[in-house]
Amino acid sequence: MKKVTAFKSVLWTILGLALAAGVTRMIFGLGAITNQSDTTPWGLWKGFNVIPGIALAAGGFVVTAIIYVMRKHEYYRYAKIAVLMAFLGYLSAATALVVELGLPWMVWHPVVYWQHHSALFEVAWCVMLYLVVLFLEFVPVPLEETSRFAGVRRFLHKYKLILVVLGIMISTLHQSSLGTLFLITPEKLHPLWYTNLLPVLFFVSAIAVGPLMVILGVLTISAVYEKPLEREKLGKLALFSVGVLAVYALIRFIGLVAEGKLATMFVSSWQTLFFWIETALFVIIPILFLAVKQLRVSKAGLWVATISAVIGIGFNRANIAGIMLVRTGEIYIPTIFEIFISLGIISAAVLVFLFCVERFKMWETKWTDPRDRETAPPEFDRSSEAWLGSPRISHRFTFSFILIISLAFGFALISNERIHSEGIKEVPVKAARGGDTLYVDGNHDTFGVYFAHEDHIQREGKKESCVICHHMNLPMDESSPCSACHGNMYTEFDAFRHDWHSSPAGGNVGCMECHPEDQPRLAETAQSCEHCHKDLIPAGAEIEVDDYMAPSYTDAMHGVCVPCHETRAKQKEELKDLALCTSCHGFDHPEYLNKEIEMAFRDTSFNHVVLPFVGDLDKNREDMDD
Amino acid sequence: MKAILTDVTKCIGCLECVEACKEYNHLEVDVPRNWHRTDGLSAKNWTSILRKPENHYVRKQCRHCLEPACVSACPVGALEKTASGAVIYHGEKCIGCRYCMIACPYGIPRYDWESPVPYIRKCNLCFDKIRNGQKPACIEACPTQATIFGDRNELLTEAHRRIEAEPGKYIDRVYGEHEVGGTSVLYISDIDLGFLTYPVRKNTKPLPETTSTAMHAVPFAFTGMGALMGGIYWICKRREQLKQEKQQAKEDES
Repeated sequence: MKKVTAFKSVLWTILGLALAAGVTRMIFGLGAITNQSDTTPWGLWKGFNVIPGIALAAGGFVVTAIIYVMRKHEYYRYAKIAVLMAFLGYLSAATALVVELGLPWMVWHPVVYWQHHSALFEVAWCVMLYLVVLFLEFVPVPLEETSRFAGVRRFLHKYKLILVVLGIMISTLHQSSLGTLFLITPEKLHPLWYTNLLPVLFFVSAIAVGPLMVILGVLTISAVYEKPLEREKLGKLALFSVGVLAVYALIRFIGLVAEGKLATMFVSSWQTLFFWIETALFVIIPILFLAVKQLRVSKAGLWVATISAVIGIGFNRANIAGIMLVRTGEIYIPTIFEIFISLGIISAAVLVFLFCVERFKMWETKWTDPRDRETAPPEFDRSSEAWLGSPRISHRFTFSFILIISLAFGFALISNERIHSEGIKEVPVKAARGGDTLYVDGNHDTFGVYFAHEDHIQREGKKESCVICHHMNLPMDESSPCSACHGNMYTEFDAFRHDWHSSPAGGNVGCMECHPEDQPRLAETAQSCEHCHKDLIPAGAEIEVDDYMAPSYTDAMHGVCVPCHETRAKQKEELKDLALCTSCHGFDHPEYLNKEIEMAFRDTSFNHVVLPFVGDLDKNREDMDD
Repeated sequence: MKAILTDVTKCIGCLECVEACKEYNHLEVDVPRNWHRTDGLSAKNWTSILRKPENHYVRKQCRHCLEPACVSACPVGALEKTASGAVIYHGEKCIGCRYCMIACPYGIPRYDWESPVPYIRKCNLCFDKIRNGQKPACIEACPTQATIFGDRNELLTEAHRRIEAEPGKYIDRVYGEHEVGGTSVLYISDIDLGFLTYPVRKNTKPLPETTSTAMHAVPFAFTGMGALMGGIYWICKRREQLKQEKQQAKEDES
């Protein structure tokens, strides 16, 4: 059984990586793990696990319908497998949904808060109910192993038909309602996929793929555990799918023709290509391989047809739920961690599936009752200390080891940037340029302000007025540009250079010289800069200076100009427009400058300031670009 | 029903509305993150100014549709269209499925991607202010009256009056009058505002109507499928019985 162990090792590895990613997602939020964004709010988990997963789990209701309602008892062997696959399929879809939901602990809310206009409300209810039905359908299988709860088992057997029909009714609703979900996005979903028939198409395609998925499960069991394969019977079951596939293809084609989208099918674009890949995988290949008797009963034919159909339906659902949904030019590529979680959930489902196949009587056609056995053998032989009962979980140590290692590896892969994002990009600032009139445009994007420097000096009272704005200079410096401390365009800037101060060039300042001995070494408790630099801040400076953090460039510029402008605007009625943004940013809006600001300037003595630049606005910008 | 009318020709792009919105709704500083997109809206920016060529500034915010797709999509009724016109959000009901973000034709609802306890975030028309007869914060902040607040019908009249008063200045269309069944946030503009929504919609049908037909069919599909299965079961069983009887008869004969 080397093959099985190797296969399981891979699954445990993926599971470990997924667990690491899952824990990170729960602690730090969705943004830390996914590449989902405001333009692609649904990502891999919805588009790969939830929506295709539920379609692939349709085998549960289709095969039980064939066996119990249509009374084709020859497929009885596959009933347990179909129900188990459906149960695990729904459980894995539900798990993916829990990871995907922003507030997973609120997942029960649809039970309490009803909103029957929502297709998703309907899906939520159906999935919850169907999980219960599937549980009741499957639970007799493990109960077979014990002589307890025989009454429960018999009861469930007795009312099996009711459970099956209930399962079919519920499945009809939510399989189609998953299609209804996307009816609300007519302007977002590509026209090749958007049609009012979406609910019907979802339902019919689920019926078609259900049995094929069960056949794939049977093929896998037979390959992994070297069980005999009833190819004739499987082929017959597959033929049912061929019929449904033909119906599906017909509905879809007629829909496209009726909506006048025939030409869209042949437009050369990647969307059309995806459409044809999907159609080939889901419709053409399976029909070709399963319609021919020789291929249908051959192992290879069954493998190809079922795998193609399963990938095809997955692709179809992924197209509708994601790839073709948002056409804003934003490209969503899932992160490696999203892929880990997606595959990890599937791995877990496969592991449970294999466990059930090994542990329970999944292949027996007849239900057995432990009490019917004449003498049940003891499970544990005390004399030889050997297990005699059904096989125990093997390779416990190997798999635990693999899980722990891959878990650790998964955590190691998650970087700080991934969790906390790359943060704000630094936009370095350059000093203002010009002579009497300065052009203040820190990031040089030409959306700057012409500042009449000389005029302000003259008006505000000659040399003494400098301190109104120039609140400090760097030590040893006569006139530091604003950008020296306010070095970032949009974020606060650390103005105090710690390492430089403690370096020989910075005077080898020891810790104690700034940080008092008996207090924690925080910026808040440290000595202020003036403690050493006595003449750092000129006497009478009007702007308050924070000791160690400098505001961003834009904040600093506004902080300097706006308060004065607002005070002046209040002082004189004819200066009231000084408080407007356009009094400085007017050159972006010549029309406002001309009408309102010009008047304000005319009424006062400084009418020569900004106006000369207005006429040559475009020329000025061109100059700046050069 | 209350509404907002934004006149794009009057906006000077001063961002006062954005600032007022942040201040009134206590929104934190918006640290740009990997998952942020370029229209300026985010969980912490409920309105933004889009800078368009030739000094055009277009304010983007929730349109407060008359028949909102998000409200009909939400599985737990966390979104609600109030009588005042505002589409408001009840975080305590939300499960975080983000179906509203899929459904919104304007791509408005934003998500707290960085938070472990995330909520949907969008403009709520300052619901608690307008309930007390006040104006939304952004309207109060606007220095040029580019964006005004009032009764929807009156604003529509005003919009048409402005378009007619200065022929040639505006595009002859009030954005939000008919699209998706009408919105409570209206625009008049001298540039095409198609970029505010997903590719131009030809029909003016409210979006909830697209799913309602399918949703109305739900009870019938449910009972119909049950009846169908019952019928099939009965036929198959009957056929089996007849077959058995035939066999029995054959055996009796022999």
